[in-house]
Amino acid sequence: MKQSSVELGVGVFVLLGIICVGYLTLRLGEIEVLGDKYYQLNARFKSVSGLKVGAQVEIAGVQVGQVESIALDPKDQVAMVRLKVKAVIVLGDDVIASVKTAGLLGDKYILLSPGGSGKLLKPGDMIIETEPALDIEALISKYAFGKVNE
Amino acid sequence: MAILVTLKSPIAAIGREVLDFTQHLGSLFLFFMWGFVLIFQPPFQFDKFRQQVYFIGMKSVFVICLTGAFTGMVLGLQGYYALVRYGSTAALGSAVALSLVREMGPVLTAIMIIARAGSSMTAEIGIMRISEQIDALRTMDINPMRFLVSPRIAAALICFPLLTALFDVVGLYGGYLSGSALLGLNPAFYFARAQSSVEMSDIIGGFIKSIAFAVVVVTVCCFQGYYTHTRAEFGAKGVSISTTSAVVISCVLVLVTDYVLTTFLL
Amino acid sequence: MTRSPLIQLKDVVKTLGANRVLNGVNLSICRGEITAIIGKSGSGKSVLLKHVIGLYEPDGGAILFDGRLRAAMTPAERRALKNKFSYVFQDTALFDFLNVFENVALPLKERNALSLAEVSRRVRDKLHQLDLHDVEDKYPAQLSGGMKKRVALARALVTDPEIVLFDEPTTGLDPIRKNAVHSMILDYQRRFGFTGVVVSHEIPDIFFISQRVAMLDEGRIVFEGGPDEIQEAAAPEVKNFIQGLESPRDDLTGIASHSIGQNRLLQEMSRLQRYRIPFSIVLLAMDNLEDVDRIAGHVVAQTVFKAFANHVTQNTYITDTCFRFDINKILVVLPDTNEEQARDFCRKLSRTMQSHALFGSIEPVKGFCYSVSAGVAQANKDSGPDELIAAAGQRVAVFYECRN
Repeated sequence: MKQSSVELGVGVFVLLGIICVGYLTLRLGEIEVLGDKYYQLNARFKSVSGLKVGAQVEIAGVQVGQVESIALDPKDQVAMVRLKVKAVIVLGDDVIASVKTAGLLGDKYILLSPGGSGKLLKPGDMIIETEPALDIEALISKYAFGKVNE
Repeated sequence: MAILVTLKSPIAAIGREVLDFTQHLGSLFLFFMWGFVLIFQPPFQFDKFRQQVYFIGMKSVFVICLTGAFTGMVLGLQGYYALVRYGSTAALGSAVALSLVREMGPVLTAIMIIARAGSSMTAEIGIMRISEQIDALRTMDINPMRFLVSPRIAAALICFPLLTALFDVVGLYGGYLSGSALLGLNPAFYFARAQSSVEMSDIIGGFIKSIAFAVVVVTVCCFQGYYTHTRAEFGAKGVSISTTSAVVISCVLVLVTDYVLTTFLL
Repeated sequence: MTRSPLIQLKDVVKTLGANRVLNGVNLSICRGEITAIIGKSGSGKSVLLKHVIGLYEPDGGAILFDGRLRAAMTPAERRALKNKFSYVFQDTALFDFLNVFENVALPLKERNALSLAEVSRRVRDKLHQLDLHDVEDKYPAQLSGGMKKRVALARALVTDPEIVLFDEPTTGLDPIRKNAVHSMILDYQRRFGFTGVVVSHEIPDIFFISQRVAMLDEGRIVFEGGPDEIQEAAAPEVKNFIQGLESPRDDLTGIASHSIGQNRLLQEMSRLQRYRIPFSIVLLAMDNLEDVDRIAGHVVAQTVFKAFANHVTQNTYITDTCFRFDINKILVVLPDTNEEQARDFCRKLSRTMQSHALFGSIEPVKGFCYSVSAGVAQANKDSGPDELIAAAGQRVAVFYECRN
């Protein structure tokens, strides 16, 4: 009797713990277990200041992927960002990738604005048109010190 | 001559302290390694392991839920009033989730387990020491380290991460309770921001911390109990002092370890 | 001397903290004997015992088993050696978190590769023998002091050890239980033939069960010899110690102690030689006390013996002396009495024992026969007290039987 109640308690505890670990890793950590299929695209930005690996990739406010890696292109001194985009999303080669901020102080994400080109991007292709992250501090200081029209 | 003595003795004292400290650290480390290696010596002690998981884990669930809920709630409350000034209350979810997952969860869980299980671990082993039960094990050719310490180490290594996860989840909902249910933040925002800001590396970092704390806590607590008899105070007095110092030392070491690990993990 | 030493300690030195606890101890412990180690509190008796089992390593000197140096043994040999030992701790050292059954089973479970069924059979056996089968589900905190001692003894004996070390097995027990533990040790020693080492304060009771006595003082063995020899030992520290500890009355029975009785016998002897005043002795023995032990338990046996001693004292005059002669024997010295009058004394004793329920407080075991025998001898001025006692021992007749 006593032994079995200990076993039951341990079982309940371990189950509870695993559910919590699962919640943390699957919901918060966003690990794909079954996962959609993705393909990769590269994009070069002048600045990705504030962007993090794992940040969202959105089209019209809908999440379609994630930032997979951020690196510096040693030759051109620009940021090389690898995105993964859901396989069902097809993009033309004139898509514009821009680094945006959610709210004034919010997280950075990448917004894809599809164009009208009939030529589709294949996995591994480079997005040519990009907009760098907005440097809010620089903007604010410009307003503050009146050098907007410089 | 007299000056030489006064000059020399404080330096010598500092040197002695440093040596003592280093030696203590070394013996703690060896104690842990010895106990850890013995976990894997067959036959495995499933019964004792299960007993310890029950004691450290199951019996801490309630107190962890309680502290987790209130920690989350107070984080929600404080975070809300701090963020409302900048008009970015939407970030509450990420503030609560990140502070829970990275810091509060592992640290407070460890400190609660020290209070609940660590102190009684020291007292139990200490009493076994002073009532010669550990000697009795040795006369029966039972390795007391393997018999007493190893199951506790194994159980702590399992229980700390699980309880930390529990603390995080309960805390997250506690923050939701005060932020959304009481102060009226949109719950969808709260959870969306919590999800988008917490990354896998944060969660893994939290687990690394909790495992490190498990090692620190179980080692210090078992060590203090196991070597109660080497204290100047004998008997019940010695056990009580061991228990107190186990709690104090392991709390301090948890916070120090937390700082060190944070610098590595950030 | 054909004694073969099983364990030898040679010049063992041990310093604990700033104290030199053992300062060159030389001791031989012989196979199949019970060796008692006596000495003042804090004289290092427990430390000595812990050296024997290997809880402590000596700072200097050597410990030999069967002539082999322990320090030179391989780890496997040491383990094999350790498995031959059992240790009964002063404060029992039972595991609080295990119940009685688990406590007793622990050494078997952890040590031998026995099946669970076999372990539980052996444990149940041992618990039954020690009268503990009713409490096997209880935890040590729920038991009385005497019960705990018995559980500790059961735990020590369950592995069928060759050598059992007892660290003050009777401290804190009442006289009946104290004697019960002693008779238990003796009984088990006879039955299982282990070699025993007993650290004890119980003087003179411990002499009844030991074949060898060693006294430790200031870290050295100051006396080693038979229990009879220590009473006559000349060394002043031994003498003072023995006399200081020995109470004039036997703890269990309340009758005179062994040494007082011996003195009285010598006095009567000299009176006989000088004034020709005759005297007789009666050696009363409870023959089957051991059977009582086995059937009804050691506590019952000691209670029976105490009741028997009460009957004897009630039948003696104030001038008579009766004293505990052995674990189950009482010697009565009847001054100014010839052999026939001594026989009268026996008959009278027998009658009172028949008429009163001897074992009033104890529920009799069905079909069991208690028997008491008496040997009577009149002193003869040419022979010494030892010969007199031997003569009484030869002329034994059963004079009381109580069949339930």
